[in-house]
Amino acid sequence: MNAANPRAEPFGKLWSHVGFARLALGPPLALLVLMSLPPTIGALLLAFRNVSLMSPGSRWVGFANFARMLTDRRLHNALRISLVWEVVTVAGAVAVAVLLGVLIFETVKGRARDVICLALILPILLPRVSAGLIWRFMYSPLMGIMKYPLQLVGVPPVEYLSQPGTALYAVAVVDIWQWGLFFAVIMLKLLETLPASPLEAARLDYASTWGVHWFVSLPMLRPALITMLFVKAVESLRSFDLIYTMTNGGPGIATETLDLYAYQTGIGMSGRISYAAAMSVLLLILSTLAFSVLWKRSQRWSE
Amino acid sequence: MKRGLGGAVIVVVLLFATLFPVLWTLLSSFKTLKDIVTPVPTLLFQPTWQNYADVLATPSVQHGLTNSAIVVGCSLGVGMLLGVPAAYALVRHAPQLKSDVLFYVLSLRFMPPVAIAIPFIVIYTDLGINDTRFSLILTYCLTTISTIIWLGVPAFEQVPREIEEAASLEGYTEFEVFRKVALPVAIPSLIGAILFTFVIVWNELLIALSLTSQNFTLPVVAASFTTMGMEVPWGIINASTILLALPPFLFIGVIMRFLNRFFRAAH
Repeated sequence: MNAANPRAEPFGKLWSHVGFARLALGPPLALLVLMSLPPTIGALLLAFRNVSLMSPGSRWVGFANFARMLTDRRLHNALRISLVWEVVTVAGAVAVAVLLGVLIFETVKGRARDVICLALILPILLPRVSAGLIWRFMYSPLMGIMKYPLQLVGVPPVEYLSQPGTALYAVAVVDIWQWGLFFAVIMLKLLETLPASPLEAARLDYASTWGVHWFVSLPMLRPALITMLFVKAVESLRSFDLIYTMTNGGPGIATETLDLYAYQTGIGMSGRISYAAAMSVLLLILSTLAFSVLWKRSQRWSE
Repeated sequence: MKRGLGGAVIVVVLLFATLFPVLWTLLSSFKTLKDIVTPVPTLLFQPTWQNYADVLATPSVQHGLTNSAIVVGCSLGVGMLLGVPAAYALVRHAPQLKSDVLFYVLSLRFMPPVAIAIPFIVIYTDLGINDTRFSLILTYCLTTISTIIWLGVPAFEQVPREIEEAASLEGYTEFEVFRKVALPVAIPSLIGAILFTFVIVWNELLIALSLTSQNFTLPVVAASFTTMGMEVPWGIINASTILLALPPFLFIGVIMRFLNRFFRAAH
């Protein structure tokens, strides 16, 4: 049939000979497995040895690296910081998204809405390094613009990034600035897809606009909101780029998340590759478990 | 009238909160250090191209820019070549595999980058390809292929089945149906998906930082400026911040259209 077809190309012949589906799916899936299995197995193997950049040669040490985690207080701190970071950024971004989405939906119409959407997706397109540097510049106690309004009313500049109490939240603001505003656009687009009639009916029942959305449109959007939470939870785990650029884990270890600590241990300063691998195995297990369960759950919740 | 006014106020406040940090950095990238450190922030100053000239003349920036272009270009190319047909085949030829493959592809996104980077350093060193563009491209392919499959599947699901069936009755082979019928219809959505993928790999820091010491990419260079010496060179940092952010910004309009199409089609 191919030979009779004047449109047949040599490439097309090959595809139909081996089977289009097999050729289209085989190589990419093989490459994905080939690239994702070795690091996973490699991390496991490394975690049971004592590979270090300081000393050549290594040997099997069993669970020593994992036993060491139990007493490593810097690791416990990192776990706690990671957890706070997850909760603050996920809750913050989704809250900002819902509030702004509804606010824009109710008050801004037409061309202005398009303009505002375009502006709101700008921060998420910024490389994390750029976003981090932009805000680090604004936060700077010496020349940052943020100190200026305070200075006008006579308040001394606050060193947001160099105080242990505020540093993590100051970085989280940047994360929420990027993701919350982007999700607000998604929220707005979702509200636009809702059928108008239930909303109109609800406006008669509920006194306030916020009531309409709280009791009617948000429940209608539940599957999408759950996906949003899920996506943000996965993305929040990739905090490294932003935190590394803004504070590098400091002051002290006040903003050191698990990935930052693993990086510093294995690659940054100390070169204790095996211990870092053990930490990344812990991170891998925790996140895969949590997200697999959450994903299956969210599929069910969304139905 | 009241609503109109409230809307206008909200637009202004939101535009300010969103754009001010970026605009302030853009403005400051044209200032000399003397204008940056003024006690009262200044809007009026003699603009200078010096920061950009300095940044572009820095060998590490030139090197990082070249590496970024090659690494991102190649991994995106491979991602498109392998990811787009795979997404199509999942939708039309192997729907029984679809949910499993999508979950697998998503689970790759669960993997913390640091958990990938540490073993890869050891593996690539053993293979003798550590700190090369090739090893970085290979690692980024994991991201590009999986993201393009993930976003490509909904793009092909929007293609009406009937026109594909009509084409195969016309005597088109499976490959021709894909290339000449499905691909042209899905291409507007696919471009958005590909640009999203571009933004993700262009912006990536941790893996590049871990896997390279000679063949670093642009984000690595930009991040390194803050650790240079005692005096933080803010003029240069602002200029490099803007340069790094420029490529993703170029595509903002296309990505917006992709979002609009995505949500219109979903309902």
